[in-house]
Amino acid sequence: MQATSTNTETEPSAGGLGRERLAGIVLVGLGGLGLWAGSDLPFMTSDGVGSGLMPRLLSVVILGLGILQLVLSRKDPGQSTGRWAIRETIPVILGVVLFAVTVRGYHLGPVTIPGLGLSIACPLAVVASGLAARDARLGELLIFAAVLTAFCIGLFRYALGLSVPVAPWLLGY
Amino acid sequence: MLDVFINLGLGMTVAFTLQNIALCFLGCLIGTLVGVLPGVGPVATIAILLPVTLSLDPTGSLIMLAGIYYGAQYGGSTTAILVNIPGEATAVVTAIDGHKMAQKGQAGLALGLAAIGSFFAGTVATIVIAALGVPMTRLGLLFGPTEYFSLMIMGLVFAVVLAHGSLLKAVSMILVGVLLSCVGADMETGRERMTFGLEMLQDGIEFVVLAMGIFGFGEIFKNLADPEARDVVRSRIGRLWPTLKELKDNFPAILRGTFLGSVLGVLPGNGAILGPFASYAVEKRLAKRPEDFGHGAPAAVAGPESANNAGAQTSFIPLLTLGLPPNAVMALMVGAMMIQGIVPGPQVIERNPELFWGLIASMWIGNLMLVIINLPLIGLWVKLLRVPYRLLFPAIVCFCCIGLYSIANDAAQVMMAALFGIIGYALYKLEFEPAPLALGFVLGRLLEEKLRQSLIISGGSPLTFLQSPLSAILLAVAVMALVIAISPSMRRNRDEVFKEA
Repeated sequence: MQATSTNTETEPSAGGLGRERLAGIVLVGLGGLGLWAGSDLPFMTSDGVGSGLMPRLLSVVILGLGILQLVLSRKDPGQSTGRWAIRETIPVILGVVLFAVTVRGYHLGPVTIPGLGLSIACPLAVVASGLAARDARLGELLIFAAVLTAFCIGLFRYALGLSVPVAPWLLGY
Repeated sequence: MLDVFINLGLGMTVAFTLQNIALCFLGCLIGTLVGVLPGVGPVATIAILLPVTLSLDPTGSLIMLAGIYYGAQYGGSTTAILVNIPGEATAVVTAIDGHKMAQKGQAGLALGLAAIGSFFAGTVATIVIAALGVPMTRLGLLFGPTEYFSLMIMGLVFAVVLAHGSLLKAVSMILVGVLLSCVGADMETGRERMTFGLEMLQDGIEFVVLAMGIFGFGEIFKNLADPEARDVVRSRIGRLWPTLKELKDNFPAILRGTFLGSVLGVLPGNGAILGPFASYAVEKRLAKRPEDFGHGAPAAVAGPESANNAGAQTSFIPLLTLGLPPNAVMALMVGAMMIQGIVPGPQVIERNPELFWGLIASMWIGNLMLVIINLPLIGLWVKLLRVPYRLLFPAIVCFCCIGLYSIANDAAQVMMAALFGIIGYALYKLEFEPAPLALGFVLGRLLEEKLRQSLIISGGSPLTFLQSPLSAILLAVAVMALVIAISPSMRRNRDEVFKEA
């Protein structure tokens, strides 16, 4: 774990483009995406502004600013954006997604996850995301997850009365 | 003048019910509790705690939210002084001299001065809001869609001018924010816009989801990637209450800070952020020993903290009277008001006077509570600050998930926030500021609505924005601010103001 993270630190992660040029490309991309996504909307209608005017106008300006950014940064030395924390990001995202699919169940094609409630979703989110820390300790994390889950159920479901499912498989709600 | 106190009296009768005092207290307490956590700023705090207020009545929920806001602000300053990790831009200034004082064993004095300064500033700002409430509302009623549109443009231009770093990037972020607000059903025709046929985008993007993704999750990615050296003060906290002499020495700084913060906070487009920086610069210029600044000068904590709190509070003025949120925190307040069925704007003071004045009165009570809660609880906050980040962030993730889910009992919102978290991290890596994006997003829908209304009234002529004198003046101010900001000498000054910190 330690070895991989030290390797990535030295990598020029902006693909040699440099931060400022990459920013320009992102803006051009966003403008283009906006134009494409809003291409089916009417620009003007007989009684005034159509639903496409704002999106298209904005997208064109964003695209233009992106090009301007590229022009302005053409002599840029190509500053690196630094290390991208991929190894730290994935467990956190995984934790959030696990929470989302288990709290009230999820269907996607052949996959069906039953609603498991906070009692399962909370510890999953805490443990999965907690593993993102470089100094994570599994045992400590498991105990912490159990305590936090009990606290959250008490606070959100019972004290605040939010209608979050707790443990449908055990309690029925 | 008498009216102001009669109105405040009405507010006090609302705020001084047992339930509302309890809510205000609870809001301040949990706001401070979450705000103290390093890396969690007021925006993230309010976003996390927003669902907590959903089950309350409108007045109670807003009073509690306001309490959470002050608590988060004050919690942020506590973290800045004790750990040198400012939770947000306005606490950056406090962190410089505040943390130096803490290292010298004067943490208590720094915290005490911050609390007293904040309380004084909060009291003055409450009166300012009460005094400006009625006239500003009258002004708001004069505004038609054309003037509103131009006012929002002016606010957005100010936000660009006040953002750190590249102007081009700040402008782009605002525009991207407005573009994101267009996603979802068209408010007039109901036609789906830019939803890519996805069900979760049909109703548009919820602001809380955007805010929690970019400010909550994004911040976690940032902290995990570049762990900040957490240097919790080991030396003793020292006495909290300043001596009479210390109070007398710092009172002018508190006074000036309060004035600067109150004035700047009213500006549309997040003027409040300038308050602490301006106060620091002023105090340094006026100080007998400017060389002490940066090495633990008490006036460098008292002044900016007062400015911070005054600005935080007077930024409620544009929201409550004109319905325009000047920054991301106020944008969350709009979200909370909408959930409660209240559309912020000049009509609130007429239709819900007890809500309007109750909220204002509770601001003062909230400030008083902060002094009462925080000074005795410092020991607890210090303990909380020693909790390692490897346990803190999973807890934050867990709270965020529950909060996101309970907005609409919809798991898709949780996933969308995760996506915004990744986007927020990418923006940070490319040095795009997220605050202008949030502001653009919040004002986006209102902006489009007013643009359409204006053009319908004028029969499609965009010249209407220049023909209305009020609108023309607002646009002229906006253009002037932009020209000044672009001019080379001003750019240098602007960088200096932010860099002085």
